[in-house]
Amino acid sequence: MGTGTIVGVIFALVTYYVLRHHYSSPWRHNHGMDLTNTHFENVTLICSMFAWSLGFLVGIGAFIGPFRWLIGKDLTDEENLYLAGDGQGISRYFRYCTDHKVVGIQYLVGVMILLGSGGTMAMMIRTNLATPGSHFVTPIVYNSLVGLHGITMIIGLIIALTGPFGNFIMPIMIGAADMAFPRLNALSWWVLFTAIPVLSSAWFLGGIPTGWTAYAPLSTQAGPGMDAFLVTIIIFAVSTAVAGANITTTVVAMRAKGMSWNRVPIFVIGSTISVALAVPAFPTFMAAMVQTGLDRTLTTGFYNAQQGGSGWLYANLFWIMGHPEVYVILIPGVAALMEIAPVFVRKPLFSFGAAIAGFAGIAGLSVLVWAHHMYMAGWMPSLNGPFMITTEFISVPTGLLFLVVIGTLWRGKPWLKMPMLCVYAMLWNLLIGGITGIFLSDVPADNYLHGSMFVTAHFHYTLMGAALTGAIGGLAYWFPKMTGRMLNEPASYASFWFIQIGFQVLFLGMFMAGAEGQPRRVADYAQVFAHSDLVSTVGAYSVGLGFIILLWAVIHSWRSGKVAPMNPWGAKTLEWTVPYPVPLVNFDEAPVVKSDPYGYGRKVE
Amino acid sequence: MPATKGKTVVGLVVTVTLSVAVLAGVGVLLHGHSYYNAPTESATVKGTIVGPDGKTYPHAFISDGIFGDPIDSQAHGKCNTLTVQEGTPAAAACDGGHPTWPSYGPYTHLVLPAHAYVTMTLHVYDSGGSLNVPYYASVVGTIGGTANYDGVDKASIDPTAVQHTFTLHGVPTSSQDPLFVNVPLPQSDDADAAGSPLPKGHTVTFSFITGGKGNYVWNCEYPCGDTSYQGFGAVMGSTGFMSGKVTVI
Amino acid sequence: MDDHEELAPTPGQRAGKFLKQKDIIQTIALGLFFTAVFVVLGLWFYPKWMPEAMSKEMVGDEGILKWFTVISAPIAGIVLAISAESFMNRRKGNEPATEDGAGIKTHGPVVLIWSAVSGLFCVLAIVWGIVEMNTWTSDALTNAPHALVVDVTGSQWAWSFEYPSLGVTSHDLYLPVGVPVQFNVVSADVNHSFWPVQLGVKVDANRLETTVVRTTPDKLGHFDVKCAELCGLYHAYMETNGEVVTQANFNNWIATAKANGGTES
Repeated sequence: MGTGTIVGVIFALVTYYVLRHHYSSPWRHNHGMDLTNTHFENVTLICSMFAWSLGFLVGIGAFIGPFRWLIGKDLTDEENLYLAGDGQGISRYFRYCTDHKVVGIQYLVGVMILLGSGGTMAMMIRTNLATPGSHFVTPIVYNSLVGLHGITMIIGLIIALTGPFGNFIMPIMIGAADMAFPRLNALSWWVLFTAIPVLSSAWFLGGIPTGWTAYAPLSTQAGPGMDAFLVTIIIFAVSTAVAGANITTTVVAMRAKGMSWNRVPIFVIGSTISVALAVPAFPTFMAAMVQTGLDRTLTTGFYNAQQGGSGWLYANLFWIMGHPEVYVILIPGVAALMEIAPVFVRKPLFSFGAAIAGFAGIAGLSVLVWAHHMYMAGWMPSLNGPFMITTEFISVPTGLLFLVVIGTLWRGKPWLKMPMLCVYAMLWNLLIGGITGIFLSDVPADNYLHGSMFVTAHFHYTLMGAALTGAIGGLAYWFPKMTGRMLNEPASYASFWFIQIGFQVLFLGMFMAGAEGQPRRVADYAQVFAHSDLVSTVGAYSVGLGFIILLWAVIHSWRSGKVAPMNPWGAKTLEWTVPYPVPLVNFDEAPVVKSDPYGYGRKVE
Repeated sequence: MPATKGKTVVGLVVTVTLSVAVLAGVGVLLHGHSYYNAPTESATVKGTIVGPDGKTYPHAFISDGIFGDPIDSQAHGKCNTLTVQEGTPAAAACDGGHPTWPSYGPYTHLVLPAHAYVTMTLHVYDSGGSLNVPYYASVVGTIGGTANYDGVDKASIDPTAVQHTFTLHGVPTSSQDPLFVNVPLPQSDDADAAGSPLPKGHTVTFSFITGGKGNYVWNCEYPCGDTSYQGFGAVMGSTGFMSGKVTVI
Repeated sequence: MDDHEELAPTPGQRAGKFLKQKDIIQTIALGLFFTAVFVVLGLWFYPKWMPEAMSKEMVGDEGILKWFTVISAPIAGIVLAISAESFMNRRKGNEPATEDGAGIKTHGPVVLIWSAVSGLFCVLAIVWGIVEMNTWTSDALTNAPHALVVDVTGSQWAWSFEYPSLGVTSHDLYLPVGVPVQFNVVSADVNHSFWPVQLGVKVDANRLETTVVRTTPDKLGHFDVKCAELCGLYHAYMETNGEVVTQANFNNWIATAKANGGTES
């Protein structure tokens, strides 16, 4: 990591100064082709940021493997073992390490950093909105907070489950020794890592005036901070594509003997469907950002109406990614909780087939619904009806997911440990999130609700209330296998209630504000909204406190928590058959699977 | 064991306290960067005047300026505007980080008395061009619907020869009286650059009547964010140059 | 020989036996309770918090929100009832259970009925939405020939309204009551969204593209015009006033503006 940073910084600085010099001649100044011209400033910044990322990857040794393969001197077994961190201590977490368990822990820490940073920004946002008048931060800082909070959380949530658990747990769950492409695995993490300083640099470059949706042409008009945003997205798209290919190939090709598709744990299925959905979806976001970058540097006119382009092109490209992307986030969260429920209720997962149909149906339909985000855009009002139809129909496979979970709960005796509590929270939150989604998908209602705080409350209920709760449940569930310790119970329960109760106060208050007519992404608002906004802010502080307690619980338990037995929950999936620390190749002997992992239950009379 | 439990509780309390401290620190940092220290001017009340509705109002006076460079505006630090050279460290202390951006100055936050007849004078020195929206070349919201340009009353100016506008408009309504004033400012013949004497410029005077207490904002509607989309990026998208606040107390 | 050969129970007998079980009774009670909560919520929440409706479209918007909440109340009822029933049945202890619950792997009829009912809800929502949309469209078409046209320009960060047939441009939006109005919305720069809140309609403002929305204000009074698409620095302050006035007052306002040279004073 040290060498990576040094080489990355060198690459970035060299690129920056070369381009600055290039754009600094007096001749250029007189002809408007220098750094006072925003386009050339953007070129300099964008190239420097990519140089940082590339340099970091070179410095950390990401390309050694492919380079050696290219020159015909592939890595030896010993070198591969070294790359996998064999026998090395904690330093392997700071290096380019191909062991999927190391990558899983790296992702876990990364997710915590991203969610912590996003959460801090959320506290700032809610503090500013506690009273009218925008007394805490001025609009330009507020708008940047909103945009950067959004993108940080979106990135954090996309990887929240498939990152830590998709990497650490999933290969063990399917009985494999590692992932299909261990080097790509490490690459996906370190590529993502390079995006973090790039995104943070937006704060020093004037922030971003757009939300995370970065609509054009506002994004074209924006200051240098926008370059940090678009470079982050392009880097992140690379990381996601690599990770998606890796996870999909692993699950398809490396399942243990006897693990036919109907014996694959539901979390594995959910994660695979999620990343398989991401692979076609994210490239359109990347393309949209590349075009934004071109508009900002070469004055192309993709989104400039005066040059024959259109902001609607951006909106379509963005939402073709944007809608599948929320299901990329949601599906692993629900799948993790579906993994947890049978264990804690000691009943089979109700209707495994319906669960798969639900996930697959959602994923399939999700690519057909994107323009429900554009009902009010005026782009093509004649398509509002068709998109309303496809969007409403997504509630059918989503309903199946509910049926699977409540069917699993039915007539069971739940063991109310932290992972199980998250199942109940998810049911309540996804219920409200899903139903309000149905309201929003109705075109006439959307005439009122679009662009109001109602929308913000809806998507926080689904993305945070369901998906993030799923991630917390997954963390509490798999913590013993990833760290060898039990997560501190009193603290985790305290954090659960502070978060969930605070969450209801925060976002029910926000539904109020939206119904009253408060637009979204506003730094300031009329007196009539003061009541609902204050209520929301109080809820937010409770959520913040809950997450701080959870942070303490994670750190404390990791260092000195109760040592965990091999299978503390009595679960039947393969990851609970390996000890901690998990051996490098996971299993001494390749396991043979003889039944599905939900073989609970006495026979029904 | 009690000792371990005590340590655990201490650890929890320390973590919570440290986290809250970090959040507070971030908050203080952001608040500090939020341009709340905008140079502020309060209107001076001198006597009374009868308004067009026949009522008598306290007569308040306030003045401000617009300059083609931030150093002359003096809104971003005080410098000797005649001797400081662009690009020098001395200039960096008073250009707000953007030596080429035009700016209102010396004040960007105006404080006006409520229910008063306010007469505002702007001395403006920048070059200009065309507005994006010609409507803002009309004088709106002033007494008589006109402004006085170098001694001549006009209801509008040429929308292709505007240097900036003073557009005072609504914050979220329903809890304060609406207030909307738009005065376009004609371009100067010579541009204003740092380190050189000011061009002749123009003097524009106009009056309007304030309502009750409230918080308002003003921004310029002339797109002077050069090389950015529709000219509304760069300087236009930052606080304290071409946008500010008006507080009616 | 055994005279007491039992006949298989009839469906009615089976249902009766089913419904008498304790957990079924409790679940049904909980379900009714949660359904009632959501029905009351739907009927109370929106009328309380939404602003006054000043057009048919706004009434329609509020109606959809209210009634969709009521219609989805049974879904909330079932999900929450089963969750609560399960929660109430929890067990204590620090070790995993030694005894499993019932081994129910699936239940074909339940899955089928659930899918069918949720499909029906979808169809209901779709039909309602389409009927409402078509009503608005056909109203708009009927009214189009005698609609008052207002050209709305969104620019960073203020709205301006031009009445081309009357030769007036203004920053406040005055409308005569009962007269259909057609808003032609355009942006001078980035995307904005024209939202006259109490009129229940909305459309984005785009550069060099005119988008249209129509309504008929049918109540006198003040309404808010807001921007519903983040458009940069002062997006939060891009609001202005709307007034629905009598035709006479509207004519006076127009006349005053024209006397002032085409813009309001």
